[in-house]
Formats: sequence, C-alpha cells, structure tokens
Amino acid sequence: MELALAVLVGVLTTCAVYLMLSGNMVRFIFALALLSNAVNLVIFAAGRLTYAAPPLIADGAKAPADTVANALPQALILTAIVIGFGLLAFTLVLVHRAHQTLGTVEADDMRVAEPASDDDEAR
Amino acid sequence: MVLLTLALVVPLATAILTFLARRTPGLQRGLSVAGAAALLAVSLVLGAEVVAGGPIAATMGGWPAPFGITLVADLLSAAMVVITGVIALAVAVYGLGEIDPAEERIGHHTLLHALLLGVTGAFLTGDLFNLYVWFEVMLIASFGLLALGGRPDQLDGAIKYVALNLVSTLAFLAGVGLLYGATGTLNMADLHGAVPDLDNATVVFTTAALLLFAFSVKSALFPVFFWLPASYHTPSVTTSAVFAALLTKVGVYALIRVFTLIYDAGMPLIQELLLVAAGLTMLTGVLGAAAQNDIRRILSFHIISQIGYMVLGLALYTPLAIVGAIFYIIHHIVVKANLFLVGGVVKKLTGSEDLARIGGLWAAAPWLGVLFLIPALSLAGIPPLSGFWAKLVVIKASLEAEHYVLAATALVVGLLTVYSMSKIWLEAFWKPHPEPARAAGRGLDRGESWALLAPIVGLAAITVLIGLVAAPFYAVSTTAADQLLDPSAYVTAVLGARP
Amino acid sequence: MAVVTAPVAAAADAAPTGRPLARYGPALGSATACAGFAALIPTIADYSSIRVAWPWISGLGVELSFLIDGLALIFALLITGIGALVLAYSASYFKGHHKLVRLLVLLVLFELSMLGLVLADNLILMFVFWELTTVTSFLLVGFDHEKADARNKALQALLVTAAGGLALLAGILLIGAVAGTLEASALPAAAAALKADPLYPAILVLVLLGAFTKSAQFPFHFWLPNAMAAPTPVSAYLHSATMVKAGVYLLARLTPALGGTGPWLWTLTIVGGVTAVLASIWALRQTDLKLTLAYTTVMALGTLTMFLGGASAIALAAAVTFLIVHAFYKAALFLAVGILDKKAGSREIDQLGGLARPMWRTWVVVALAALSMAGFPPFLGFIGKELKYEGALAVASEPLLVVTFAVAANAMMVAVAGLVAIKPFLGPRTATAAKAGEPPFAMWLGPAVLATGGLVFGIAPELVGAALVNPTASVMIGDRVAKDFKLWHGVNIPLMLSILTFVLGVVIYLALGRIRRGLAAGEAHGLWAAESGYDGVLAGTKALAAWQTRVIQTGRQTQYFLWTTTVLAALLWAGLAMGGFAVMPRGVEAISLIELTMLALAAFGAVATVVTRSRLLAILALGLLGSAVAAIFVFYGAIDVAMTQLLVETLIVVIVAVALLRLPRLTPAPGLEVRWGHLGVALATGVATALALTAVLGTELDRRITDFFEQASATEAFGRNIVNVILVDFRALDTLGEIAVVVVAALGAVALLTRRREHREASR
Repeated sequence: MELALAVLVGVLTTCAVYLMLSGNMVRFIFALALLSNAVNLVIFAAGRLTYAAPPLIADGAKAPADTVANALPQALILTAIVIGFGLLAFTLVLVHRAHQTLGTVEADDMRVAEPASDDDEAR
Repeated sequence: MVLLTLALVVPLATAILTFLARRTPGLQRGLSVAGAAALLAVSLVLGAEVVAGGPIAATMGGWPAPFGITLVADLLSAAMVVITGVIALAVAVYGLGEIDPAEERIGHHTLLHALLLGVTGAFLTGDLFNLYVWFEVMLIASFGLLALGGRPDQLDGAIKYVALNLVSTLAFLAGVGLLYGATGTLNMADLHGAVPDLDNATVVFTTAALLLFAFSVKSALFPVFFWLPASYHTPSVTTSAVFAALLTKVGVYALIRVFTLIYDAGMPLIQELLLVAAGLTMLTGVLGAAAQNDIRRILSFHIISQIGYMVLGLALYTPLAIVGAIFYIIHHIVVKANLFLVGGVVKKLTGSEDLARIGGLWAAAPWLGVLFLIPALSLAGIPPLSGFWAKLVVIKASLEAEHYVLAATALVVGLLTVYSMSKIWLEAFWKPHPEPARAAGRGLDRGESWALLAPIVGLAAITVLIGLVAAPFYAVSTTAADQLLDPSAYVTAVLGARP
Repeated sequence: MAVVTAPVAAAADAAPTGRPLARYGPALGSATACAGFAALIPTIADYSSIRVAWPWISGLGVELSFLIDGLALIFALLITGIGALVLAYSASYFKGHHKLVRLLVLLVLFELSMLGLVLADNLILMFVFWELTTVTSFLLVGFDHEKADARNKALQALLVTAAGGLALLAGILLIGAVAGTLEASALPAAAAALKADPLYPAILVLVLLGAFTKSAQFPFHFWLPNAMAAPTPVSAYLHSATMVKAGVYLLARLTPALGGTGPWLWTLTIVGGVTAVLASIWALRQTDLKLTLAYTTVMALGTLTMFLGGASAIALAAAVTFLIVHAFYKAALFLAVGILDKKAGSREIDQLGGLARPMWRTWVVVALAALSMAGFPPFLGFIGKELKYEGALAVASEPLLVVTFAVAANAMMVAVAGLVAIKPFLGPRTATAAKAGEPPFAMWLGPAVLATGGLVFGIAPELVGAALVNPTASVMIGDRVAKDFKLWHGVNIPLMLSILTFVLGVVIYLALGRIRRGLAAGEAHGLWAAESGYDGVLAGTKALAAWQTRVIQTGRQTQYFLWTTTVLAALLWAGLAMGGFAVMPRGVEAISLIELTMLALAAFGAVATVVTRSRLLAILALGLLGSAVAAIFVFYGAIDVAMTQLLVETLIVVIVAVALLRLPRLTPAPGLEVRWGHLGVALATGVATALALTAVLGTELDRRITDFFEQASATEAFGRNIVNVILVDFRALDTLGEIAVVVVAALGAVALLTRRREHREASR
C-alpha cells in the first residue's frame, strides 16, 4: 500500500505541476490544492502506514494498549492542512482581485509590474 | 531562557495590539514603533547573552528536545535577530512618514509585525517543521504587505511572488516530511546526529535536494529568483525595504543552517551546485541591475547579486568563507534596507523613481547625496565601508580555496555594482532635473522628514561603524562561523550533554 | 601623526562661510602639514624610517600601520606642498562660486586619502586609501555635473580606475597569501619566495593592472585626458601632481618585493615607453592647452614607469628625480593654464597670442616652468633629464630601446614646452585675449612658487638629491644609494643626448603645424581611438545586460514556472542519481480492493482536474480527490486528520466555487492540446517525488519520539488524544504559528477586498 501511495503522490504532483505551467491562475489554485494533498500524503506515508487504531489512550490507561497509528505525522499534517487552507484562501482572493483589476487570470497577460516595453527600453 | 520566548512574544503582541488599535491611528503608530524598539532591546540582550555564554536554548512547554520544540540561539541566530531588530525599528519609524493612512488602517502595522514574528521565529527555532511554520507566517504576512495597496502593479507582482513562493514552501514541507520518515526526528540538533547515520544515500540526497530547492527560491538564487524582481519594486518603500533586508536573508540563513548543521555544504554535488549557482547569481543579478532604469528595480536586482556573495561564502565551505558569508549578511541587510529607504526619499523629492524623469538632487539636497553615497559605496565594496570588508573576506576565501574563476567573478561583479550605483548617482543626483521647473524639488515637511531621515541616518551610521570598527563584527562572524562548523555547543545546548 | 590631522582641522575650519580666513584655512592647514613633513627630512636623509602601527582587523592581517621612509616622504611633501598651493589657488579661482565649500571639502578629503595612500604600510590599508582617491577623484571630475560630458567622463575615470583597483585588491590578497604578511615594509624579506611562487605571474599582472590604470598607462591612458573635464585646479592637483602618480608610487613601493625579474622589466619598459612616446605625439596634436598638458602628464607617467622597470640604482634615482621635476613644472603649468582660461578667456592655443605684455607676470612663471620641462640648464628638469639618459644607459638588458624612447619623448616635450611658453604670449594680440589681465595674488602664488622651485633646486640639486632621492632609491633597491647630484657632469654621452634632444625638439616645434595636420588626418581614421575599447566594453556590457535580462526576467509567469519546476525536477533527479537510485521498498504488501479504489478515485480526481474544461467539473474533481484522501487517512488511523481534511476540502470547494463564479472560464483547456514540454517537466517532478518517497519508505522508521508522546501524553500532559496533545502541548508553537497564518491570511484577504471597495469609491 505504501508503494501505491507513492504512486498516487507521483500522480498528484505531476498533475499539479502540469496545471501550474498552464499560467492560468485559476488552474494554479487547483494545482495548489493538488500539491498540498500530495505533500500531506508524503508526510503521512513517511510516518509509515499501519492498520492500527487511532492514537488514542483509553480512559484509565497510561499509554495506548496496542500499537496505534503514528501520531506525530498526523499532527504535522493537521498543521499543514490548516496553513495550506489559509494560503489557498488568500491566493484565491488575490486572484479574484487581480482579475477585477487587471481583467485577466492569465498570468502571462499580467504585465504591469514588468511591462513588456521594458524590452524596448533596455535596448 | 525567557529571552528566546520574548523575542517571539514581542512581535506577536505588537501585531495583536496594533490590530486592536486600528481605529486609533496615533496609538497604533506608537505601538508599532514601541514594539519594534522592544524587539531591538530584547534582541540586543539576547545577543549579549550569546556572545558572553555561547548558544542558549529554551524548551517550549517544558518538553525536552528532541520531543518538544526547542528555541535556540547560537551566535548566527542571535546576530540575525539583532539585525532584524535594527531593521524593525528603522522601517517602523520610516513607515510613519511614508505609509498611506488607509494602508495603516487596514493592517500595515499588524502585517509588518507578523512578518517580524515569522522572521525571528525562523531564526530562533531549533525544529525543522517549526521552521516551515515560521516560513509560512512570514510568507503570508509578506503576501498581505505586498498586495495591501491594491494597485494593478502590486497585484501583478503579488501574483508572481505568491505563486512561486508557494511552490517552494511545499517543496520544503515535502522535504521535512521525508526527512522525518528517514530519521524519525524533526529537531535540527538531533538531525545533526541522525543524518550522517543514514545508510541510504538516496534519501540523504533527495531530501537535501528538496530543501536546497526551497531555500534557493527563498534566497532568490539563480535560476529561481524570478519572483523577486517581479514584485519588490511594487509595494510601499517601507515594505520593499523590509523585504529587501530580511526575506531573502531568511532563505540564506536557512541554507546556512541546514547545510552546516544537518547536511554539509561540502557534500559532493551540493557544493558544486552551490558554487555554480553563487557565481551565476552574482553575475545575472548585477547584469539585471545594469539593465534597469528604475531605482527600486535596480536595487532589487542587486539583492540577488549580493545573495550570490553570501552563498559563495557558504559554498566554499572553509572557515574563512563562512565568516565572509555571515559578515556579508549582516552588512548587506543594513545597507540594502537603507538604499531602499533613500530611494523612497528620492521619490518624495523628485516625484518618480524612473531615472529618466528625475535629477538635480546633488544641487537641491546634498545631504541626501551623502546619505545615498554611504550605503551605495558600501554596497559597491568601496573601503572603508562595511561592504568592502564583506567582499574582501569572501574574495580572500575564494582565492585561498583556489577558486580563481569565482574570485574573478566576485571582483567583476563588484565593478558592475560600482557601475550601477554610479548610474543612480549620475542620473538622480548629478543630472539636472529634466523639468527645470521641478529642479528645486519639493521639500519634506518637518514630521515627515524626521520619520524618513532618522532611520536613514541611523543605518548609514551603522554602515560606517561596521566599516571603521570592523574588528568586533569580524570577531562575531568568526565565532559564529566556528559554532556552525563545529556545532557541538549548539547540539549540547539543545540536547544536553550526551554520553 | 599630528601632521596628518592638521588638514582635517583646517577643513573643519573651512566651514560654509565666505570669509577669507575660512577660504584659505585648508591651504594653511596643508602648508602646516607640509612643514611638519619637511621637519622629518633630516631623519629620512639619514636613511632611517619611522613606523607606527595600531591594530585594526587583526584576524585579516589588516593593521593601521604607517611608514615614513624616503619614498613616502617625497610623496607626502608633494601632496601637502602642492596641496597647499592648489587649495589657495582654488579659493581664489572659485571665489564667490556657490560650490566653493563643496570643492574645498572634496579637495581636502582627497588630500587626506592620498596622504594615507603613500603613508600606509599595510597594503590593505593602502588599498583603502587608494579607493578613496578614486571616489574623491570621481566626485571632483564630475564637479560640473550639470554637463553630460563631465558626468560621462567622471564615470569613465571611475570605472577604469575602479577596475584596476579590483585587480590590485586580488593582487594584494595573493601577495598576502604567498608572503604571509601584508606589511609593505616586511615584503622585501619575502621577495625571493614571492618571485619563485607559481602565483608570481598572476600577482604581477594584477598589481600592474592596478598601477597602469591608475597611472594612465597605455592602453588605459584615455581616461586621464578625459578627466580634464574637472576644474583646472583639480586637474593640476589630482590628475597631474598626485593621484595619477599613485600607480607609480605602487610600483616603486613594490619594486623590492616584485621587481627585478624579466617580466617586470619588460612589461614596465615597454608599456612605459610606448605610453611615453604615444602620449607625447598626442600632446602635439592638441589645441587645448589643458589637453596638451594632460597628454604630457601621460608621457611623464610612461617615462616614470619605464624607469621603474630598470632595477639599477641610477634608473630608479632618475625616476625619483623626474617625479619631483615633473610635479613642479606640470602643476605650475596647469595652474597657469587656469589663469589663462580665467583671465585671457581661453585655453585654445589658436585663440591666444600677445599676452606677454598684459600678463607678463604669468609669462615669467610659464617660461620658468617650461624651461624646466624642456630640460634646460640650470633647471631641475635638466638634471632630471641627464639622470634619465644616464639611467637609460645603465639599464643592462636593453639600453638602446630605453634611450630611444626617452630621447623621442623628451624631444617632443621640448616642442610642447615651446608651444606653451611662446605661442600664447608672443605674436599679435588675439580678439579673445583682448581683455586679458593679471590674476589675483593667490592664484599667481602657486605656479610662481612651483616654477621657482624648479630653478632653485636645479641650482642646488643636493637639496633634493641627497635628502630625498638617495634615500628613496635606497628603499627601492634595498641597498644604500649615494648618487652625487651635480648640474655639470662634463662632456659625456648624456650631454650629447641632451643636445640631440634640443635639436630634435626645435625641429618638431617648427614643423608643428604640419605634424598636427598629419595627426588630425590619422585621428579621423580612428588611428588613435584606444578609447573605443572602453566604449566597446561598456556598450557590450549594457547589451549583454539587456539581453540576459530579456531572456531571464521575461515578465511571463509561465516562463518563471517552467524554470523553477525544471530546477526542482533536475535537483530531485540529481539527488536520486547521487544516491544511486536506492529506492527499493522493504517488500510489497498486499493491497485491498477498497484501498485501491480510494487511490484510483484520488488519482482520477487529480487527472480530471487537469483535463476538464469545465470549472464546475474541476471543482467536483477536486472535491472527489479530497474525499478520497480523507478516506485514506481514515484507513490508517488518522481520524482527526480525515475530519479536518473533509472540513477544509469542503470549505475549499465552496469558496472556490463562489469565487469561480466571478472568474472567467477555463480556456484554452490544456487537456485537449497537450503541451509535451510541460508534461515532461511535470512527469519528471512527479516521478522523482514518488521515487524519493519510496526511498524513504525503504528505511526503518525510528519511532522514539512517537513512543515518547504515547507514554507521556496521558501521564504528563494529561490528554488522551495523542494528536491533540501534540498540537496543543508538545508542539504548541507550531499551532501558534498555524493560527497566525490563518489570521494573517484572513486579515490580508479582507484588506485586499476593502481596498477594492475604497478604490471603487474613490473613482466614483
């Protein structure tokens, strides 16, 4: 299963990178979501997969009785998911604002900060 | 060590307080400056502590390393925090004279201090995943600051900045995850012991590759620096200055930290890559600057070029070279921030940053000329200013390591830096203003001039000080480099004495 | 060191007042310093030296060490003495000028830098001052910065000398590495090691580049005549008497350490000789007197370089003597040209004439200086020239070459001296010079003192010879030199050569018109345009800069992404390759159908997001992917993660959907027209990531930290959900940062939306 998960990570990453290269900022948002998922799966898999109970401690026990799933990567992923969400939401608003102001979501058509006329000036 | 915690609490508290005070601008401004001053004070005490007693560490929540998160300051971290404090105060004051009240109301101060929180967090954490978190804090705050004005060019710049940086942090996160999977730990001092024990070289190199990529993007190394020239000239000058001073340097800091403590920059392939990247970064950055005609765009490309020198220091991986890298960072942060601040005053006085549309400042405002010359000449490596010693050490290290091509590159880039600084001088200061009617320029009103000029004068004084009294700064860099190359004191501070 | 600080105090006095005392304060300070140095002459004449040192940056071998020996003292005297005269001259020349204070401040700063340069013992310290002279020179050449021409020429001077300076810095560092010391006074002891080191050729090239650019040797000479854009007193001081001699000083200072070898001799002799001859030809070509003098300065620098090449005591003594001679007559002539410019209205030779009567006092000065320049007895110039011929004959390997260079250059000097002293003053008065009159005393004093000095020291050469020249030559040769200085040596070869020089000089003077026409024709064909090299390099650099920036920083995001992701993929593959592709998993476990289904659904969601043209489908695919991943989390005991994942994915789907309603449709769809290059990079990244993960999965996980959490969670942190305990206790700092990110993201997003409203309201 770990191996299969690695394949899935590969697929997600490939799709994300391909989407990013399109230059369309809406697709970039999708890519961001894909890539975040891929990375979360990387962390998850890196903590090793076990068909085990969630990392909970029964009432009265001092420690989990049986083997439980690795808790640390889960905590890391939780942090990463929330951070990723914050970033994605901001990016979405930014793209929305850029669209309103610049009239496009194609990043290559956004040439205000680095105007195309630079090329002529530089000569 | 309460100091380490304080270094995070101060910017955090300032960010929260300035947010709460957003409806009373006077209070908000006061809080912002006071918070920055407090950060500087804390950082100075911290610095003194580390200079006197070596690396210090503090466990968060009382959980010992490597289980909990440890904050740790060796001399490099402490120096970075001190310099962050200096820049914080400078830009907090400068912002009073520059930032549009509307931008203040919607969060400039809060975002600034959130950024500072991320930066100090990154410098002080001893945990790799926690470093990722501070990176993100810094990043999201910088996104906000960048786009705050909402002008078309700012949005455009922000799009490119945001997109490319997100890719880099995700690579960072993946690297952290994989490294955890291989070693079972996230504590950097612990990783120092664990990574060399790994018997799978593929794991070592692929995780190193991911972190190298992430930090290279963050540091704006060739060929992944695009986001920087695309965006740094668009926000307010205050924001540009703080970005220029700190953001890329966090990347360089992370490179140095990770590639001395966890991996070493002398590793095969990594060293070659860093050397080549450093050389090309110096060169492409300065050539980029030579092709620009706008003050802030020139300065932005120069950041890249100067990063090359710092990374060259790391990549040579000799004791002297690391000293050079650290000295370079300290010098550069002060100088580069100051140049942006001066650029802001130029804009105020002449109405533009486009060199073709301004001029006459040497006649109209000779004092500004002097204030420009100090950081500009320092950047260009003219003695006896700080940049001279920085370049000297890096070049000396290159020569001693017999990397003659890189030494020559560093020298040629120095000349090109002279060229592009003199370009600003010739156009903005010497050339008469193209519209004679505006030649006299507008003056600064009193409150404004105090806020704008005090930071510039202060930073210029530091530049001169580092230049004239270089010995203590050199000594600090030397000790910091020693601690990096032999991190046993760092490791002991974090993990305790190991049997 | 009191002598050094005197001008500083004086400069502070200069204050922005126009009072005479303030205006002449710097001159007085400089004169005081000069007197202080003069008091050291007896010590130096005794072949001893004075060294003082303080620590600076010991770790780098950089000390604040100063050395006064013969060589340093000669320069110090010239710098402060001529400095005093030039400062006084400037105060009068620029009387009432609004930039007078600025000029005086810069001149004093320059003077101090130049003094530091010649007094420093530590080579890095010397370099510090070296660069400061470059910067002050830049600011002074561009003094009339309203003119584009002055700006460009200042830039040229800056770039040429700064380029050389950087080479010099590398050279100094290599010297330090080989010799183990950076103190010039300690270098002679390491001379053998230096000359035998494989780095010696590199050191030589780098040091000579520094010296040749600073001292305007061919082919770097062009910046110096161009630096004549500076005000005349500046040219007289920096670009004739002092700064341009810094390169010569450097060669002299390093002679004991690096000199005496074949490469040293040949390079200096040929470069110096060629520079001297070409420069004197160019001098003949000029019609602007200031430019004429500038080229003769280049000629003098060439001559000095040439003689420093010959390592014989007499050649070095000749160089030192000529250094003094030249400083006297050339500064005098420059200042006199300034007087002509100011008082007769022009520097153009063709516009001047008949000034002998209205400006006779000036004429006397010019005549005295020109006679020394031409080398007539009993002027110091004569002694200098005789010594040069004697020295040339003493150059063991190539006396004929050196003598030929020397005679040719000197003959042309005779002609130039005639041009300067005769042409403007005799003949009919020109229209331009109609209102000519004598200068004020302060302007006349400088040239008068200097020109008279040439005569006085010519009559009593021992005053400089035994006192300064011999100790200086001794420093360079490393052995005691005790040359006799006499006006009359009897009839010998040097005297014959002198006579030959005069005859040739007179012939050239008479044929000057024809020569100049010939040279002008040559110039029209670009024969003399060595400067085009500089222009070419500058234009080339600009073009390269523009080109590379166009190629790299295109302003196009797809380009940026392509580079960035390619680098990522390349690094990953390089990492895999370096590690030898050790990516074998531990063993293939069975996989259940339901797991496979989840994986397949997730993958399908991802691919669908890529290929779909519909925004709605894309969002749904994204949701599908998120849910499938959540299911995978559930399978492996990550309930909390799965719940958060579901929650966040739902939120994302909702807000993306809302936002998308306002965003344009997805066209063109990349799913239909596959971009193979992009796909390649994407695949490379994806496969490499998967392989990197597989490599990690092939290792054993060290679970000690998780074990600690499992043990400590309930007993020490009092929590039963270990993941939660990690988040709120063990790794609470992460959670703090996480909250910060979300809050700041919200703040940023709200700010963005608020600004929009404000902008809209403002535009209404």
